[in-house]
Amino acid sequence: MRYALMTLIAVSLAGCTRAPAPVADVVAVVSASLPSDPADAAWNAAPEHVAKLLLQDLVEPRLQAVSTPDVRVRAFTAGQEIALRLEWPDATINDLPAAGRFNDACAVQVPLKPAAAVPDPQMGMAGNGVAISFWRADWQATVKGRGDTIREIYPNALIDHYPFDAPSLEKGSAAQQKMATEYAPAEGAGNRRGGARTTAVEDLIAEGPGTLHPAPAAISRGSGVRTPTGWAVVITRPLPDGLSPTSPSQIAFAVWEGSKQESGARKMRTGWIPISIREDQP
Amino acid sequence: MARVYNWQIGREMSYWYPESRPKKQFAAVFDTNKCIACQTCTLACKTTWTSGKGQEYMLWNNVETKPYGSYPLAWDLKLLDMLDAGKWAGSTYQGQTIFESAAAGERVASWRPSDDDYAYPNVGEDDCANQIDGGASFSLPHMAWFYYLARICNHCTYPACLASCPRGSIYKRPEDGIVLVDQGRCRGYQECVKGCPYKKVYFNPMTGTSEKCIGCFPKMEQGLQPQCFVNCIGKIRMAGYLSTPDQARPDNPLDYLVHVRKVALPLYPQFGLEPNVYYIPPIHVPPMFLRQMFGPGVDAAIKTYRNAANDDDLAGLLGLFGSTEQVMTRWVRRGSEVAGVDDRGTTLVRVPLKEPVVERAGFDRVYQIMRTNCP
Repeated sequence: MRYALMTLIAVSLAGCTRAPAPVADVVAVVSASLPSDPADAAWNAAPEHVAKLLLQDLVEPRLQAVSTPDVRVRAFTAGQEIALRLEWPDATINDLPAAGRFNDACAVQVPLKPAAAVPDPQMGMAGNGVAISFWRADWQATVKGRGDTIREIYPNALIDHYPFDAPSLEKGSAAQQKMATEYAPAEGAGNRRGGARTTAVEDLIAEGPGTLHPAPAAISRGSGVRTPTGWAVVITRPLPDGLSPTSPSQIAFAVWEGSKQESGARKMRTGWIPISIREDQP
Repeated sequence: MARVYNWQIGREMSYWYPESRPKKQFAAVFDTNKCIACQTCTLACKTTWTSGKGQEYMLWNNVETKPYGSYPLAWDLKLLDMLDAGKWAGSTYQGQTIFESAAAGERVASWRPSDDDYAYPNVGEDDCANQIDGGASFSLPHMAWFYYLARICNHCTYPACLASCPRGSIYKRPEDGIVLVDQGRCRGYQECVKGCPYKKVYFNPMTGTSEKCIGCFPKMEQGLQPQCFVNCIGKIRMAGYLSTPDQARPDNPLDYLVHVRKVALPLYPQFGLEPNVYYIPPIHVPPMFLRQMFGPGVDAAIKTYRNAANDDDLAGLLGLFGSTEQVMTRWVRRGSEVAGVDDRGTTLVRVPLKEPVVERAGFDRVYQIMRTNCP
């Protein structure tokens, strides 16, 4: 019996790829390519950093109670890009927006430019900003093919009529599109928060709380999937300025738990965490 | 927080930003005694502004039946439950406003409606008006009375939606005091939806942003009253601009009703927002209920209103309600006629103090038939 048990353990260990031990900081391992799928087994080769999440407690409205305790981060880099895999526990899927309903989300934050002093970790500061890659679960669902109708939220909704769906307007025509935009004022103002999307990630710039605004160009891409215990999201973006194999930098993360009505400033976040690039695996 | 003066509660109070009053303030008076809850105002707004995707249950204007009706569900009861019932000393409110009673880490004391709370606008609110079967009795905590409360955004002097937004996406126009959500800046955090005590900011799940009544500003900019005002068949509404009490002009119709005669009162002044839609309270409702809703001026307002038949100025001005689409910034009574006037002194409309009455005999001699009393 004792021999059989030892044999079983030995066989089990031989069949596993041993994951690297957790690391104290975020380490991006140089790789030939960057896995974009959070479920890709290649991620097991990257060392994992367990980042403790803190309450956003700088500005009102603050988060009052701890929700998500930590986010597990792995990273690869190839050429001029870095891919970060964020995984966190979340028992509920929150990916349908509505009044009083909020979406699961996460974000990666890096200093906007190399500086002797890093900006404030909570959204940067005037003259010393941060770049943010923001992923949201409802956008992910839309990218994966969920429709853009009210019935996706309320399956039994009865819609009499939308003016832009009038029979006199040819569906898909310029006139019809123009009229539809007039009935979606945010979209008309170039602020695409809902509706059909091609990416679940948006790029943002901030120079302090309340200053968040779109980045000049979309430079990040990403994808998220459900794990048995929560979410795993890969965000790929250009290497932050100042981060190289010979020059470490700083990085920060944030997680929003939709079921706890977290949104905007109501979030769990980290402070700055050192990030470095490692040429070889240990 | 800054210290600002709120004349509706007769004292200074704490607010998120310093006092900054607009050049002129959009305001309105609604006469609740004339509202029949036909919802024409609701549909006028709906068809004009909220026919898009995600706006299906969004009513910038709604009419609810008080005391039981509400949209969203229990919007006022829930907040009143949260706040201590502060007392008034004369015209000074001694309790705490929603800004002063905010918990640590919050900007205002507030609650967040769920989407279900918006699902029953004016559904079943009038059921007690149905005929009761012979012999049946109906017992309520109060006497069997109700009245209709038409509601739009109050375009408050101290908006809680504006104070709640952590990224300054809501602004109060300096030129007319209309409060707007910047649709290019809103990120849909829904803090404003939670923060507004009147629950007059709505989240649109299809655009992902919050939206609200815009005071029909494209019309107001042209000197025209908003859609819900001009389509009101009961002629209960008048839109215009309101001065602060110290600047009140008796020839400004809203100043006259609010400041001079004090017959129109703010909705829940104790919340502390200095709302700019004023209500002539219903005269048949127990004053105790009305004092909670409209403040300590209720009794005097009802007394003044009840005497309107003997008050040519007040009766005349009330007759100007719904008489023209144009904004009357001034008014004047000349004998038995009242006129609405614009900023340039142009007479917009003239209304007789008393409509001529013609009495017809009950029997029509020409057609040899009794006349009926149908309209």
